[in-house]
Amino acid sequence: MQEDVRPGLSVRLDAVTKLYNVAGDELPAIRGVTLSFDKGEALALVGSSGSGKSTLLHLSGLLDRPTTGAVYYENRRVDSLSPSDRAILRNRSVGFVFQNFQLIPRTTALENVEMPLLYRGVPSRERRERARELLLSVGMGDRERHYSSQLSGGQQQRVAIARALVASPGLLLADEPTGNLDSRSAVSVLELLMKAQERTRMTLVLVTHDPEVARFASRTVRVRDGLLEKA
Amino acid sequence: MFLVSLGLRALLRNPYRSILTSLGIVIGVLSVIVLVSIGLGAKALVLQSIQNLGPNLLVVIPGSVTDSGAQVGGGTDTTLTLEDAQAIRHDCPDVWNASGALRTAAQVQSSHANWSTVILGAEPNYLPVRDWHLARGGFFGAEEEASAARVAVLGHLVASRLFGLEDPLGKFIQINHSPFRVIGILSSKGQSPMGMNQDDMVVIPLSTLQSQIMGVTYVGVILAAAQSPDRVDDARREIRDLLLLRHHIPAGGRPDFDIQALSDIAKTANRLSLILTLLLALIASISLIVGGIGILNIMLVSVRERTREIGIRMAIGARPRDILVQFLTESAALSFFGGIAGGILGILSILGLRSFLGWPAPIPWEGSLLTVAGATILGILFGLYPAWRASRLDPMEALRYE
Repeated sequence: MQEDVRPGLSVRLDAVTKLYNVAGDELPAIRGVTLSFDKGEALALVGSSGSGKSTLLHLSGLLDRPTTGAVYYENRRVDSLSPSDRAILRNRSVGFVFQNFQLIPRTTALENVEMPLLYRGVPSRERRERARELLLSVGMGDRERHYSSQLSGGQQQRVAIARALVASPGLLLADEPTGNLDSRSAVSVLELLMKAQERTRMTLVLVTHDPEVARFASRTVRVRDGLLEKA
Repeated sequence: MFLVSLGLRALLRNPYRSILTSLGIVIGVLSVIVLVSIGLGAKALVLQSIQNLGPNLLVVIPGSVTDSGAQVGGGTDTTLTLEDAQAIRHDCPDVWNASGALRTAAQVQSSHANWSTVILGAEPNYLPVRDWHLARGGFFGAEEEASAARVAVLGHLVASRLFGLEDPLGKFIQINHSPFRVIGILSSKGQSPMGMNQDDMVVIPLSTLQSQIMGVTYVGVILAAAQSPDRVDDARREIRDLLLLRHHIPAGGRPDFDIQALSDIAKTANRLSLILTLLLALIASISLIVGGIGILNIMLVSVRERTREIGIRMAIGARPRDILVQFLTESAALSFFGGIAGGILGILSILGLRSFLGWPAPIPWEGSLLTVAGATILGILFGLYPAWRASRLDPMEALRYE
């Protein structure tokens, strides 16, 4: 198995704000945050629900654009790129793990894991091999033909992690990855994430409201009401 | 390429919906092909029967009776005579042959059957003018014509109605209670372009019909054959000048006859059947468009239903273009395969029409290909908007969509 150690991605959010337009009202989700993720660190964003921690994660992963402020990858401004260029950047540099797994329905585990390589134009044999490796590494090697509806929550999240890692991203963003799991699955999923982070030296950002989960990270940043809490 | 396979796989995941969605296109393409073929068949049928009548034939009919200033319709006057026919035959260099004719309806009897049919009084050269042929026996000549002989030539249908399997030649039939000797039987000719069964008639000498049955001296029509199809116009002018002179019509006066060339009728019929074909195609295209709207509808539903899937794909790196191509592939494939299926069903239906109804409908190969191509383009056009909407989704909102 080719070892894909790639120096992690450094990310900087510079004075970002985010307003959501809900039924004509502008609701501030982020009121002005400046925050850096260093290359290769494992960081936990902690806060109660509605604090804005998930929004920060989405802004960092280029799923969303800040209302004001800027996002930099390796000192390069990326939030102002076109939707297409942001998609390419997400594909090459960012892996997502969501609370509700977000596997594509009526699609096998293997096909789900292959998907990022598909959009990168990797030839099908190579794609398949690489996806198999990843499924094996998350302990799902025997489930590659299963549909997501045939897998338990813990299993689905393992497939999702394999998918997030398949393209060897420099940045892995996990949004409450254990939120929908029982405690035993939760621990094994977290161990899986930390192991992957140690092996590849990628930057890992873990969003959680659970201090037990945050303990796995080397640094914790608290978010409240759209602002960072002073440590 | 993989985007195309993605689109196709999405269709296979929902086979019933895919089939039902493309059904509109199937029916649209089917009806375009079948209706166009029927139209072309009608045209072929009309042209063929006109061809049977002879492309160099001219028909001289009397003008309309003017009764107290009111016209009573064309062909009702009694101004044409046997002498007119003779004059045309002899004095028009571009006319190859001509014959006067007159018809009436009458009851005809054999010893054991009774049949109501058309009695056609004709000159001996009616046969070559119409290019008719005898199945058996002979036709009457100048002698019978001059003596108003009671001889009859039976149409194919009349012969079998009156005599069944018996041989009618030499037997007698009664027309209005006068006996006529059967001397010949015409070979079968089928329908005339005006919808008359040309086998359902009895031909007797014109003079016999005029003097012994109808008691008149006029002829109903004069048929003239030009020397060749390209001399029809010359022949028509000669006949016109001759009849104007013979009927003492002053220059600029309204002629009391009318000359029609079958080639004119062919042109009109041709134009009419073209209009018919276009009209049928237009009606069928409407069902094709309705099929396209069906695709539009299902694709809009599909995009909405799969919003979250689109969000996931975008999160892991699908560009807007990739999403657009994926959905466009789906609608294009729906309409393409629907079009192919409709084309195959259409051609099968045409073959069915041909073998069961005997309708001479041609298989419009180029038209079928064009229709399938058109249906595919239609599917792409109607798929464009849903695909564009899918590609413009915001990844974050799409991911949150329930």
